[in-house]
Amino acid sequence: MTDAELTAGTLPQAGGLSRRRLVLGGRLLLGALLLLGWEWGARSLGSVFFAPPLEVAARIVALARSGVLFTDIVTTLRVSALGFAIACVAGVLVPFLLRRSQRLTEAVEPYIMASMGIPKYALAPWLILWFGIGDLPKLVVVTLMVFYIIYITTTAGIRGVDRRLIDMARIAGAGEAVIAREIIWHSLLPFFFTGLKVALPRAVSATIVGEFLVATEGVGHYIEYSRQVSDTVGVFAGIVVAVALVLAINAAVNVAERRALGWRPVEREMEL
Amino acid sequence: MSDAPLLEIRDLGKRFPPRPGRDVSPWVIQGLSFSVRPGELLTIVGPSGAGKSTLLNMIAQIDTISAGEIVFNGEAVTAHDARGLRPGFDRRIGYVTQDDCLLPWRTTIDNVLFPIEVQGRLNDETRAHAEMLVRAVGLSGFERYYPHELSGGMRKRAALIRTLAYDPPVILMDEPFAAVDAQTRTQLQADLLKLWNLGRKTIIFVTHDITEAIALGDRALVLSRQPTRIAAEHVIPIPRPRNVADIFALEGFAAAYERIRTAIQ
Repeated sequence: MTDAELTAGTLPQAGGLSRRRLVLGGRLLLGALLLLGWEWGARSLGSVFFAPPLEVAARIVALARSGVLFTDIVTTLRVSALGFAIACVAGVLVPFLLRRSQRLTEAVEPYIMASMGIPKYALAPWLILWFGIGDLPKLVVVTLMVFYIIYITTTAGIRGVDRRLIDMARIAGAGEAVIAREIIWHSLLPFFFTGLKVALPRAVSATIVGEFLVATEGVGHYIEYSRQVSDTVGVFAGIVVAVALVLAINAAVNVAERRALGWRPVEREMEL
Repeated sequence: MSDAPLLEIRDLGKRFPPRPGRDVSPWVIQGLSFSVRPGELLTIVGPSGAGKSTLLNMIAQIDTISAGEIVFNGEAVTAHDARGLRPGFDRRIGYVTQDDCLLPWRTTIDNVLFPIEVQGRLNDETRAHAEMLVRAVGLSGFERYYPHELSGGMRKRAALIRTLAYDPPVILMDEPFAAVDAQTRTQLQADLLKLWNLGRKTIIFVTHDITEAIALGDRALVLSRQPTRIAAEHVIPIPRPRNVADIFALEGFAAAYERIRTAIQ
């Protein structure tokens, strides 16, 4: 390699590094501004209306020390994750099965869309009547909230598959199973990950709302309990924990997406 | 070269289902007949919109036929509805389409191996054969690249050897080199002739480029305007091996070009 090529090769990297620093600096600055605004809100409205950030932080540390935080997070995540997993499997399987028959799809689709319109939380009291006061009613709400998002994005992905690739595979001797696994699945992955990103925060917040109604532990239960005893700091601490959970899950999805969709040109061009 | 045809097209016709509000749809292809001998490289030239892709889609059995029959090795196909179609005729007819149709999530080598893999024939021998083809078309060093990282010409080569690698007895090619620059096209044509010389496959090569039809073919068929049928047939008298880059200078080229050009109008 010549000197000129070496210089050319190192230039974009240097640019990338300074860009990353700039983004990080901007993020920290925004975060500081938000905290300042929060502190200002607490001081001007009083701590009953608006819990001061330092007290909230102290509460989270105290909860972590007592072990309550861990138990609550595990409880909430258990329900979210299980509901999410069931909804994902169903949300992918149903469109894959419906793909086999255009007529069946046309017959079934209006009912799926109509059931999407049911306000799930309005059913909460009956869900408790039907499924008791354990994890089950919460699980049902989470599953329903997530299912439609995955179902719709998967369906869009399946409809967007390039027909020519399917013809190519058929001519090469691929059967229906290979086409589903190799062509359809890979084509819809970008759609699926978009669905995941919308659905994951929904799953966590649906669990938390469910815990407002029936729960003896969980992040939602802690928020609701704090509200009942007018503990503003407790409510805010619970909200911060919920936000942190969603951020952590989102980061995990991003890593999975980068791994699964490494072949896509956009991923690398975005880095420039 | 045996004279018994490997593939015979008899009185083929195609009309698409009528649009709402129209009683009948016109015949796109009607009364089209020709045959191909084993090991022959047959080119088909026709103006744009002559139904060239439709014709190949029917032979590859990804589109239904409305009339006539296709006879492969004595076995007749008359699939008038989509359910009866057997795409690729049980892996015996390969198809290199106008678009490369590479799978964007597979690397070059994995794209080339895709048909062998789905046919359950992936072993050391087939892999070695595929790797030989990769080298033969100058894709060495690009085996682990994704399609979007390759140039247009490289993608065409990958698509070409993907079909050659699983070795179907007949290969259809639908203007595979139409979308690349002239210099790359000449190189691709030379590559194709080199590969064809290695195995002497039966190839039906469709193009709108008269020069290409002459440079590659043993025989060139000329298609009429719609409803499409065979308007003329020309045996290309230029001996092989041919130098594609100098094809204009070879004896017999000018006369063949003139005859085909007249037949197209």
